[in-house]
Amino acid sequence: MRFSRNGYFIEEYVKCSVSGALIYGEPYAEENGRIYADAWCRAWDRRAPGETIPLPRTPARATGQPPDLVMMNILDSMMVSICREMGIQLMKTSYSTIFNEGLDFTCALANVRGEMIACAEFCPTMIGGMPLLIDSCLKEIDLDSLEEGDVILHNDPYRGGLHMPEHTFFKPLFVNGELIAMAVCIGHIAEIGGMVPGAFAGEATEIFHEGLRVPPIKILKAGRDVDEVWKLLLANTRTPRTNYGDLRAMIGAVDLGVERLGQVLAKYGKEVFERTCDDLMDYSERRMRAEIAAFPDGLYGFEDTIEDDGITAAPHRIAVDILVQGDEIVADYGRSGPQARGPINATLGVTMGATYNGVLHMSDPGIPKNSGCFRPIKVLARPGSIANVNYPGPLVAGNTETHPRLANIVIGALSKALPERAMASESATSNNFVFGGQDPSGGSYFACYDLMSGGWGGRHGADGNDCVIAINGNCRFSPTEVFETRYPLTVEVCEMVQDSGGAGQWRGGLGLRRVLRIDDVAITVSQCTDRQSMPAFGLFGGQGGGLSKTLFAQNGSQEWGTARDRFNKVSTSKYANVTLHPNDRVELVTPGGGGYGDPRKRDPELVREDVAEGFVSPAAAKALYGRGACG
Amino acid sequence: MRYTVGVDVGGTFTDFVLHDRTGNQVSAWKQLTVPGDPVTGILTGIDGRASHEEIANFRIGTTVATNAVLERSGAVVAYITTRGFRDVPFIQRGNRRFHYDMNWVKPKPLVKRRHCFELTERLNYKGEITTPLDEAELREIAARIKADPSIGAVAICLLFSYLNPAHEIRARDVLAEELPGLPVSTSYEVVPKWKEYERASTTIADAYLKPIVASQMREMKRRLEEGGQTAPKAVIKSNGGETLPEAAADFPIHLLVSGPSGGVIASRFLAETTKTRNLVTLDMGGTSTDVATVVDGKERFTTSFEIEWGVPIQIPMLDIRTIGAGGGSIAWIDKGGMLRVGPQSAGAAPGPACYGRGGANATVTDAHVVLGRISPANFLGGKMRLDVEAARAATKRLADRLGMSIDETAVAILRIATINMIGALRSVLVEGGFDHRDFVLAAFGGAGPTMAADVIAEMGISTAIIPHNPGQFSAYGFLHTNARVDRQRTLMMTSRDFDAARAAALMQVLIGEGVDELATQNYSSDLEIACRLDMRYQGQNYELELEVPPEIVGPEGAEGLWQAFHDAHRARFGFDNPGETIEIVTFSTVVSARTVHPVSPRLKTGDLAPVPRSRREVGFARGRVDTPIFWRDDLLASQRIDGPAIVEEAASVTIIPPGQNLTVDPFGHLVLNTDG
Repeated sequence: MRFSRNGYFIEEYVKCSVSGALIYGEPYAEENGRIYADAWCRAWDRRAPGETIPLPRTPARATGQPPDLVMMNILDSMMVSICREMGIQLMKTSYSTIFNEGLDFTCALANVRGEMIACAEFCPTMIGGMPLLIDSCLKEIDLDSLEEGDVILHNDPYRGGLHMPEHTFFKPLFVNGELIAMAVCIGHIAEIGGMVPGAFAGEATEIFHEGLRVPPIKILKAGRDVDEVWKLLLANTRTPRTNYGDLRAMIGAVDLGVERLGQVLAKYGKEVFERTCDDLMDYSERRMRAEIAAFPDGLYGFEDTIEDDGITAAPHRIAVDILVQGDEIVADYGRSGPQARGPINATLGVTMGATYNGVLHMSDPGIPKNSGCFRPIKVLARPGSIANVNYPGPLVAGNTETHPRLANIVIGALSKALPERAMASESATSNNFVFGGQDPSGGSYFACYDLMSGGWGGRHGADGNDCVIAINGNCRFSPTEVFETRYPLTVEVCEMVQDSGGAGQWRGGLGLRRVLRIDDVAITVSQCTDRQSMPAFGLFGGQGGGLSKTLFAQNGSQEWGTARDRFNKVSTSKYANVTLHPNDRVELVTPGGGGYGDPRKRDPELVREDVAEGFVSPAAAKALYGRGACG
Repeated sequence: MRYTVGVDVGGTFTDFVLHDRTGNQVSAWKQLTVPGDPVTGILTGIDGRASHEEIANFRIGTTVATNAVLERSGAVVAYITTRGFRDVPFIQRGNRRFHYDMNWVKPKPLVKRRHCFELTERLNYKGEITTPLDEAELREIAARIKADPSIGAVAICLLFSYLNPAHEIRARDVLAEELPGLPVSTSYEVVPKWKEYERASTTIADAYLKPIVASQMREMKRRLEEGGQTAPKAVIKSNGGETLPEAAADFPIHLLVSGPSGGVIASRFLAETTKTRNLVTLDMGGTSTDVATVVDGKERFTTSFEIEWGVPIQIPMLDIRTIGAGGGSIAWIDKGGMLRVGPQSAGAAPGPACYGRGGANATVTDAHVVLGRISPANFLGGKMRLDVEAARAATKRLADRLGMSIDETAVAILRIATINMIGALRSVLVEGGFDHRDFVLAAFGGAGPTMAADVIAEMGISTAIIPHNPGQFSAYGFLHTNARVDRQRTLMMTSRDFDAARAAALMQVLIGEGVDELATQNYSSDLEIACRLDMRYQGQNYELELEVPPEIVGPEGAEGLWQAFHDAHRARFGFDNPGETIEIVTFSTVVSARTVHPVSPRLKTGDLAPVPRSRREVGFARGRVDTPIFWRDDLLASQRIDGPAIVEEAASVTIIPPGQNLTVDPFGHLVLNTDG
């Protein structure tokens, strides 16, 4: 990272050639045009075939005392409960549906070394993304410049972030004038300017199309609003009132986190707190190492295809090679395709978060989620690839589309080591249908980020769940009664899609179908989704899931066409700024999940029940599951 | 007619509390519940305690609705909804219970998809009819329901019916013609609030429960009367109000947390008699613990109950949080070497190791036994002898792996169990926006008194109250219920387009409905009426509830109403957004009639220090201490006991660790203090 001499902007983003990590300060080494962040990366680059390079161990900070296991349990419960409390307050006070219905946010606590010491279970992308994000920000912020009551805001995807809608707030906690910890809150602000309302510009080709970028800056200084920052932020969005409410709510959340953590420190003191946090991270690391040690050693590769990037009608390969060596994992995305022209690129934070997400799905869910848990997992994402976008490449859909796809190929790769723990691919898209327009009554601008659920993949012993949000998030779907009250659209149909679950011994879950009609105001629509030509993959003989679909019909007609047919777009799944007029309709279908295992081994009783419930049609039951199966 | 009887029918025991009006005396006892036959337990329990003629009335907490839902043994329901929206109960909200758990199976609704029917009709978001109801189609649906003899009830939930019930009411009337005798629940009558999944889920559950609750209410009444119990019977609703069995059968969804509501009502009364402003309750049993609050002397309500994760029930009920942790919670060591307690429970069978019924795992109860806190000779009043050696052996297995002594391990188990309890208490207080330091803990249930001292010390609460008869406290609460009807309806207005006359008119309608329903239960005088508005900043999705006068806008005008909201927001969340548009979402009313309650009897005052019955070594955090053991019935008002000490009684044990003390209040409640 090379800043300008005045410190106001970045002149060059320096990244490690092996891991893709941003390098603050001097690189460890530069050789033959290769830049290394640390000794491990250099050694990895020069390793002999088959040679394993153990990851560097976090130096022991033990004070010689054995960890107090009971205190660890107590502090972990308390800190997770603080993070939950922050999240609940955020849910209750925020203004946009993506926060308060969608719960698209996460709250965490960090120590001054930039390690995440606890977080609450809200949005998984952000949980996995948080460690890099906190670490990057703390490298950039001069800790000595912090005062009590400061609040820092940041959304820069190239500096540890995920995508620009994701805004992160940090508030330092001081005890007796000493900086001890940070309360952190990250959440999705739906509308941040840029070329389309709602940020998801399917045709963005650079970051500037996607909205306003905010490097780490103080939005509050010593407890007082920095008016200039507020004015600048709110002048660059179509929905300043809503953004104001959401930003205030996030500040309320970090205020609460600092207050509550302060009470914990008052009770236990700094020394016990810091030692126990270190013990807790070591503990999570130990738990994760024990999980990985139980995976058979080996190199497991898996790949999948993203159908297009919205700009070029050509597929993009995403691939991972997972090396399980003893109690460590190296996940290398080197075989993935080059950086895309359209917005499907992942930042390093997204790729790391997706890898953690995939591994966490394959391991014990009870491990406390903190930075320690991710120490035995090394992510390698080549700079300038679809898995590690370089400035100023577009990336808004990387967090919602490419994240779940990467997490699913991690699960796919590990399925080769642990077949009974794996899941076939889920829908792995958030659907990301966004629209905006002028409110007919008040004249103010509205914007909506609408996400939809799809099918889970089949698992060993269980069918995929129907209509569940992709595993990068844990958002809730907006009720029709809320949606129609807030926006000038009518939902004509909201139903599950018959036969969309990939056939298998355990079938995939069903996708969702909605038909929306535009009421009395024209709206501008954009979308970033995928799986309209390539289905969610099955595993072990299971079949792919049903395809996703977006179709338009004008002014009450029954003639349906894709964005390509109707609006001359390159892609049917990623497009920007389509205008829909009153009485136009749009049909949105989400993908079903892939099947697990040979469909012919499916219990005939389950097939009969599926047919009786209408999840599978009699014809499909006969074709996919064989004679007699549909009773 | 001397007696009022409170009966709490639980899974293992049926608890009884009898109030004798003539001597103003309360007595309490337990009777084993006959599985699947609650009435026999009631009849046996009453036998010999009170003669039929002398019982003035019964107040009964029932688990019929709870069990039918948990065991999924309700009716086969047919579901009728707006065309295009049949799958709403299946699609749900799209989120999942846990992150990272690929074994998770999404909850199933209480209805089969094959029994869901779409009806051509539609309202818009203003409640205007955009597609009229197709009555011929409805009659066809009725014919299909009729053709399926398995269907026992019908639920109707149409989009936006909370704004305009015309279509739901018409559908209900047509079904009554076509399907006479088949119970029907409409979403407008069950829960007229927005968000179709939550409303559908609640309405389906109501229909699901109708046949079984109706038949059990009839059966209970008949058999009690056959057994000579002719006194009036009331059943306790989830809102802590009482109602007639016949009325309960019409809206069975209101019985979902009938039993535990008694503990909250009793706590409200406890707060009143002890002049305590804020109480948080810890009702801890063998397998589960209920937590609730009484704030400013009032119990609190929620509309966000779930029968299991993801299956919401949105009617107003007492806000009771249940966690799966109790005396039977098992201690274990996880893969990282950390000691954990629960959520697995040894249950009643095999139970904790000390029950000597083959349980090999150390539980919270075992830790108490190992430390000598619970006496093996005085469990359940001596009815069950505990096996100390089995408890020690189970604890030793953990101790060996942890490299700790048996006592240290037992102390650690209790500390972690305490933290689990605090987690539940905190989450309830946190979500209400309260500071725990403003609360007194009320600990009851068989195991609550054993944990109270540790919980307050660790949590930073200064006082805990162990009420009299802590093991039958819920049944005691039933003696203090009122008749109560909650009504609510969504009607959205903002501070920009506020129509005070329309708002006041809606409030009057809701009040009228409550008054009418109480009239059917013969309550028509001395009614108390409370009116509330659920409000928020426009754009927010969760409301703050504000108490308002029935005419809504007082003499100071609407400005006062909006300012009251800003103030409430600041008090609750630490900030407000002055000048922002405020939205009213839901109107609600509570109409209640006060019934005759017993006055709490007073205990004789004792001037002398209480005398222990015995002494034994008891383990605390810093090791074993010679500890006096008191018998609760010996204690007199205003006596004080300094820790370490133990107070035993038939259904529980109160532990006073070193540094804490206990005083007996004028009503016989034990008041624990941490501050010397």
